Amino acid sequence: MRVNFVISEVATGLRRNLTMTIAMIITTAISLGLLGAGLLIARQIAEMKEIYYDKIQVSIFLNDDITEDERLEIRSDLESSGEVEDFLYESKDEAYARFQQQFREQPELVANTPSDALPASFRVQLVNPERYPVINEAFAGMNGVDEVKDEGDFLDRLFGLLNGVRNATIAVAIVQALAALLLISNTIQLAAFNRRTETSIMRLVGASRWYTQLPFILEAALAGLLGAVLAFGGLALTKVLFVDRTLAGPISAGIIPPVEWSSILTISPLITLAGVGLASIAAYVTLRLYVRL
Amino acid sequence: MEIEKGEFVFLIGPSGSGKSTCLRLILKEDSPTKGKVVVNGKTLNTLSSRQVPKLRRTMGCVFQDFRLLRNKTVSENVAFALEVINKPKRTINKVVPEVLEMVGLDGKAERMPHELSGGEQQRVAMARAFVNRPLVLLADEPTGNLDPETSQDVMLLLERINRTGTTVVMATHDSNIVDSMRRRVIELSMGKVSRDQSRGVYGVGR
Repeated sequence: MRVNFVISEVATGLRRNLTMTIAMIITTAISLGLLGAGLLIARQIAEMKEIYYDKIQVSIFLNDDITEDERLEIRSDLESSGEVEDFLYESKDEAYARFQQQFREQPELVANTPSDALPASFRVQLVNPERYPVINEAFAGMNGVDEVKDEGDFLDRLFGLLNGVRNATIAVAIVQALAALLLISNTIQLAAFNRRTETSIMRLVGASRWYTQLPFILEAALAGLLGAVLAFGGLALTKVLFVDRTLAGPISAGIIPPVEWSSILTISPLITLAGVGLASIAAYVTLRLYVRL
Repeated sequence: MEIEKGEFVFLIGPSGSGKSTCLRLILKEDSPTKGKVVVNGKTLNTLSSRQVPKLRRTMGCVFQDFRLLRNKTVSENVAFALEVINKPKRTINKVVPEVLEMVGLDGKAERMPHELSGGEQQRVAMARAFVNRPLVLLADEPTGNLDPETSQDVMLLLERINRTGTTVVMATHDSNIVDSMRRRVIELSMGKVSRDQSRGVYGVGR
């Protein structure tokens, strides 16, 4: 295969349909960028789940006027319960200290919260987080217990929301991908029409089908690659300008895990592969179905 | 109908009689609805599309409208035919000047097609068709756009190509050429062979 020949064919092809090429690259980039965002959100969700579910599943909040005996009783019940994997006691002071630490980025909030506003609690980790109702039943009625709260319940709702965001992102990515594929197909048909003299001569003198088609497929693949590069740039910009700035507070407080460069780098080959692969396949199918080369 | 290796054959007949279709069948650009096409011992009906390029490498083609690449020079046009079938650069650099000399265009290798006369352009097309030393040269009204004198040059060139052992099949309307060459004439009408005559003329009673 004459590399120079193929490269010059690809370059002329892309230049001749410059506007179509740009449209093709932009649509591909948007689609791939959204796909990448979806993948990143999925990673974030997984990381957050690890952070949160690992910590605490059930909090047993205690009344402020609980007696020492009542507390000891709850403690011994927790120790003897087969459902409990591990637990820890958090006094009012400790709760306030943790609150201060968690919201140190919002000093007004901390300042407006009296130091005894937060209840003492037992933080209970269950053997099986699904068994929350059993714990609730056993402890909710005990003396000195204010409320038994399933933190997992809140987390489930939170993650339900995040999963929804992820799914919506990926759905839009798929619709965009469809638009990109149609655009690629169109551009390739146009390119093939523009070069019909060349290709007909090539076929006539016995160039293989592969040889005639390769420049067109590479054209599409190159557009896919450029789209992937743009998408990568877009994700990097989003990280630097949005995630790292706007979400700086929650991230440093440990509420949201940071978006690492390493995760963007990990998904970039995936995006590139998807872009280049889909574009080439679209071009190939178009050439086989619509263009007689 | 059968055409032997090394023959020179005119395909004549009115428009729509099937001359071009006949050439397209030999090239396997079309497939016959009935009957069998055999080229160089290979039956084209059963030839897979993968095999078609290989078949075409044993053939050359010339058309009425020359079909040159406008943005390439004369020698690039000829070289293109070799490049796309992966001939090594060394071979290309050697045979392209040779074939251009043969068609009498060695001084115009770097010209663009639009700078040439019609006859010269057709000679470039013939150089491109012949550069790969094909077994068969198919010519579809190669003189259709040319004046009588230039046509004569093209015919002389076709004869020279024929003398190297290449079978030449030429579809034409040009009665003067057919009459002066006195070669085998196959006349088609309504898609059927109506006359097959060695050393024939264009029309009976002319």
